[in-house]
Amino acid sequence: MNQHIDFILNGEKRSVELRSNLTLLEMLRDKLGVKSPKCGCDRGDCGSCTVMIDGRTVRSCLVLAVEVDGHEVKTLEGLMPGGELTALQKSFLVHNSFQCGFCTPGVILSVSELLEKNPRPDRDEIKEALSGNLCRCTGYIPIIEAVEAHAGQEK
Amino acid sequence: MADYQYIGRPVVRVDGEAKISGAAQFVDDLEFGPNLLYAAIVESTRAHARIDAIDTAAAAAIPEVVKIVSGRDFPFKFGLYMHDRFVFAQDRVRFVGEQVAAVIARDPAAALRAAGLVKVHYSELPPVLNTADALAAEAPLIHPDLAEYQHVPWFFPKAGTNIAHFRKIRKGDVEKGFVEADLVFEDTYTVPRYAHCAIEPHGAVGLFDHAGRLTVWTASQSPFTQRHLFSEALAPLGLSHKDVRVITPFVGGGFGGKAGVSMEILAAALATSVKGRPVKILWSRAQEFYNTYQRQGVKATIKLGVKNDGTITALEETLHWDAGAYVEYGANVVNAAGLSATGPYRVANVKIDSVCVYTNLPPGGPYRGFGYSEFIFGLESHINEVAKKLNIDPVAFRRKNAIRPGDALAYGAAMNPSGLVECIDRVAAEIEWDKKSKSKDPGKAIGKGFALFWKAPAMPPNAASTVFLKFNEDGSLNILASAMEIGQGYQTVMAQIAAEILTVPPRKIRVETPDTDRNPYEWQTVASHITWGCGRAVERAALDAREQIFDIIASALGKEREALYLESEQVKSKRDPGWALPLKDFVISGIGQKDGTYRGGPIVGRGMFMPEFASATSDPETGQGGHPNVHYTVGASGITIEIDKQTGKIKVLKAVLAVDVGKALNPDLLKGQVTGGLLQGLATVLYEDMRFDEKGKLLNPNFSDYKIPTAMDIPDEVMPIFIEVAQPDGPFGARGMGEHTMIPAAPIIANAVEDALGIRIKSMPITAEKIIEALSAKKQQE
Amino acid sequence: MPIINEFAYIKPATMAQALKWLARYKKPAILAGGTDLLNSLKDGLAKPEALIDIKGLEALHKISFSRNRLHIGALVTFSELIEAEVVRRHFPVIVETARTVGSPGIRNRATMVGNICSAVPCLDSGPLLLAYDAIVATIGKAGKREIPIAKWFLGPRKTALQPSEIVSGLTIPLPEGKHAGCFIKLGRYAGEDLAQASVLVMVLEGNRYRVAFGSVAPVPFRASRIEKLLNGKEPGARLFADAQTLVAASISPITDLRATKEYRLHMCRIMLERSLRAASERLAGGGPRYGERLL
Repeated sequence: MNQHIDFILNGEKRSVELRSNLTLLEMLRDKLGVKSPKCGCDRGDCGSCTVMIDGRTVRSCLVLAVEVDGHEVKTLEGLMPGGELTALQKSFLVHNSFQCGFCTPGVILSVSELLEKNPRPDRDEIKEALSGNLCRCTGYIPIIEAVEAHAGQEK
Repeated sequence: MADYQYIGRPVVRVDGEAKISGAAQFVDDLEFGPNLLYAAIVESTRAHARIDAIDTAAAAAIPEVVKIVSGRDFPFKFGLYMHDRFVFAQDRVRFVGEQVAAVIARDPAAALRAAGLVKVHYSELPPVLNTADALAAEAPLIHPDLAEYQHVPWFFPKAGTNIAHFRKIRKGDVEKGFVEADLVFEDTYTVPRYAHCAIEPHGAVGLFDHAGRLTVWTASQSPFTQRHLFSEALAPLGLSHKDVRVITPFVGGGFGGKAGVSMEILAAALATSVKGRPVKILWSRAQEFYNTYQRQGVKATIKLGVKNDGTITALEETLHWDAGAYVEYGANVVNAAGLSATGPYRVANVKIDSVCVYTNLPPGGPYRGFGYSEFIFGLESHINEVAKKLNIDPVAFRRKNAIRPGDALAYGAAMNPSGLVECIDRVAAEIEWDKKSKSKDPGKAIGKGFALFWKAPAMPPNAASTVFLKFNEDGSLNILASAMEIGQGYQTVMAQIAAEILTVPPRKIRVETPDTDRNPYEWQTVASHITWGCGRAVERAALDAREQIFDIIASALGKEREALYLESEQVKSKRDPGWALPLKDFVISGIGQKDGTYRGGPIVGRGMFMPEFASATSDPETGQGGHPNVHYTVGASGITIEIDKQTGKIKVLKAVLAVDVGKALNPDLLKGQVTGGLLQGLATVLYEDMRFDEKGKLLNPNFSDYKIPTAMDIPDEVMPIFIEVAQPDGPFGARGMGEHTMIPAAPIIANAVEDALGIRIKSMPITAEKIIEALSAKKQQE
Repeated sequence: MPIINEFAYIKPATMAQALKWLARYKKPAILAGGTDLLNSLKDGLAKPEALIDIKGLEALHKISFSRNRLHIGALVTFSELIEAEVVRRHFPVIVETARTVGSPGIRNRATMVGNICSAVPCLDSGPLLLAYDAIVATIGKAGKREIPIAKWFLGPRKTALQPSEIVSGLTIPLPEGKHAGCFIKLGRYAGEDLAQASVLVMVLEGNRYRVAFGSVAPVPFRASRIEKLLNGKEPGARLFADAQTLVAASISPITDLRATKEYRLHMCRIMLERSLRAASERLAGGGPRYGERLL
């Protein structure tokens, strides 16, 4: 049942041997030490495992690791060029768009996907982009405000 | 009003970069190397049964399995306020999902597979699944040995029954009060169980090394309380506190569910059976639902006596709490609620019976609001009904009866300073209470609801916070506290307090997650008391450091001590305006003298805060005496909703919440508590719906069928208002408010529904379906 | 929780290979989006010997519109449907339906074909495809088949698909003349939810109507009695009210964890009226924007 996959993770070429029944989330966290995607429910309901495959957000707990062979995977770590905070992240800081931080990597990825397609979203579009990321702490309003502020500033 | 540099300012969170970069570590992110073992739990499938046998042969045959243990290996009791709970079930199981055995294996899939092969043989006992059955005369006893259980002196279990504790309040003379009343009205309100649903599930790793040290890494709100409970429970193995170390990284949401000890005891215990190897237990989302604390259900019968002018003359409440199979923590919820179930009103004649009832359901425990969220649904709904019967505006009724500073509380002590009336007036103005709104859509109705709330920290009288504060060579400083960062941002507030006193900016202050070996004692991060209690300890530690600084400068440099002050990270003197000495020049190295010797040395501040006026001693029959609650935080909330009369669906147009925080140390963090807590509260009344089957099994232990709000479900507008009537013993006048923002959510909705549609729904959740049922029942009556 | 069971993983490069592998195993499972299958694997409900990942079959990843027929390949995701120009232009109610499925992270993987293969009673695509008289295209060792959607759903989690067959795609014929639709899904709140009831109404030029319900019977279905009452008549409040009286006899909802049968019935009446009204207003050039919440 062993598989070999080659894929790109946050800009680096990786080769991994693994069992076919390992999920992408398990591979990232347990085999490759990439901890920003979290396991909140393991059923695709909470969004804290969100990563990007070929630029699209997915629930990594609902993807088998083997499926990323030949593809490009990005986690929050890969969204920060040179390890520097992005303007979006700085907006999150200033707007207190996080509290416990557990849902935050998934939220940032979902918002990044939105802004890539739609740099000036309205409030409804922001809510829809966030609709698959559960946050129990903030009540979402500070997150939405950070995105609106950030989008308002971007030319 | 003093002008502060850091207090009251929007300071960026000290843990902000860690969290938004993904660098923040939670317990499941910690690495333990290739020697790490994994445990999977064998759980009871019965609500109430004797365990006849546990057959582990098939499980043991799985190659990766290292050890299988069960109750026989750990016949130990534990508990926070009462020792009624077991590491593993002993002779019987008391709820579906209770841990019966554990398989420890070298890989998680093997552990899970093996756990599925363990066969447990049960003899069923009749399950008791609600308080009425539990209180019935011939009810099966869920804890037959209740009389022998150790507990805190302010609990009163009733041997030979399923009553684990009761709190009685008898103040004044209710019978007389009802006779004096012009109107007496009684009704019953039902609130079911709820789940915390922090996005991070519980998890723990235990390591009992060959030196005999037990280290447990946990996602916990309470590292020192955990250390204490682990030490107590495992004392028969020869362990004491010096051998136990608890390390707690960032916590992904607690809301009370990660307080005390629930599943973490398993990591501590299992570690002792695989000495030298770390063992990890991570809860699944389903286990998170059925085998961690749940918010207890309560049935509240409320009888209110009032005069025609709206004055309350008497209040009688009977609260029956569905507290679950183990109440070691939950019984204190019952206690706290009993002491404060009058709500923030002045009532001369009070009778309260708050009864903690065992049932064969998951253990009840602390949840944001600690009993107040639970009882206030009934109380604030009832108050609205009574006001209506008297033809008095519900807000005016509340204002008239609102408790004032100095008034006698239900247990005799005096109410602290509070701006309750200001909260009421501000909310009423913001929600435009006097303006009746009509929907543009004839198929929809608009309603407004109002409620007051209050809460005091429910703590033992000696709950203490201690803090060390140490400087570094660059003039930065570290605050060592054992409060927990669970999302609320307390680390930043502590930094602001120290910053204000020592004039070192928050960005040069580190407050890290604790290790019980290195950080000094903190009771727990619960009760909304950290800003107040740990804040005072930080204040004292900062003042202690400042005193040391002034002492050293005075003696080493001959400066007049009384003239010294701190500004911009330097010591200055009113006597000598030209002179300034940067802190970094001496806070580690001391001050060099002409003869080559040094004075001073590293500055380490120490602060401890424990309220010495609190006391839980009171008359068990009346609840009078003592000072069990340090102070109350009060507030008011109002909501405007629009209901679709055909579908029953509710849209929240505007929610306003005013809370008297004493002093808003960090307004942004306070706002976060309002937006988050209000939505969490609204979810309990609008969507969350826990369902058990007739055998006590939880039917919806997942997010697909237990709905917590998404970004699509937020109110159109949320407006927080912060009132500042100083708390005399609070740091810069502050008191806590973390739980409070959730408390009024359920009754404001219930009252708004009544305002919009003329129907009174007395059970939660108030779903669209219930509204339609109530509307059609009303139509049939007409 | 890890997946306990082990399985072979195969990713065929051609359809011929895929069919060969499918025939080789007694208990194979097809993997496309995986949003349904992964949970079944974790729950131990699905214990396949082999997973055949069809995502290598690029030919199945196409959306095309020719001769008034929309072809949706088996690998087309809900997100791709929402973004496709031809779908937005000619079939806006497909976009409206697709947007109710889960959330963006789910829609980026989940496929409409996967949805109809799971055939859970609450599936979102059922009423849509029934209203459009869609055709399911399959390929098996016996060759190609075209199965009308009305013959596809046989029961909860049961379809007309044969063991050695793969669904290659769906064909949705554009109806003759102008048409407009409306999809309403009942959830417990505005967030992501499994349908407690759903209805798709299509109103076509010439006073023709198509009405399909989902999640209120073991399979989604066309409400032929309601259609019969409506057909040939001008849209209007009286007509819609008459249609509502037939709802109770047309649906067979159950009481479960999510809703009672009484509430489902109550809501289906309301949803029928609102979707009839919205669809007929849209046909006339007005009405609520597609995607606007009507519940």
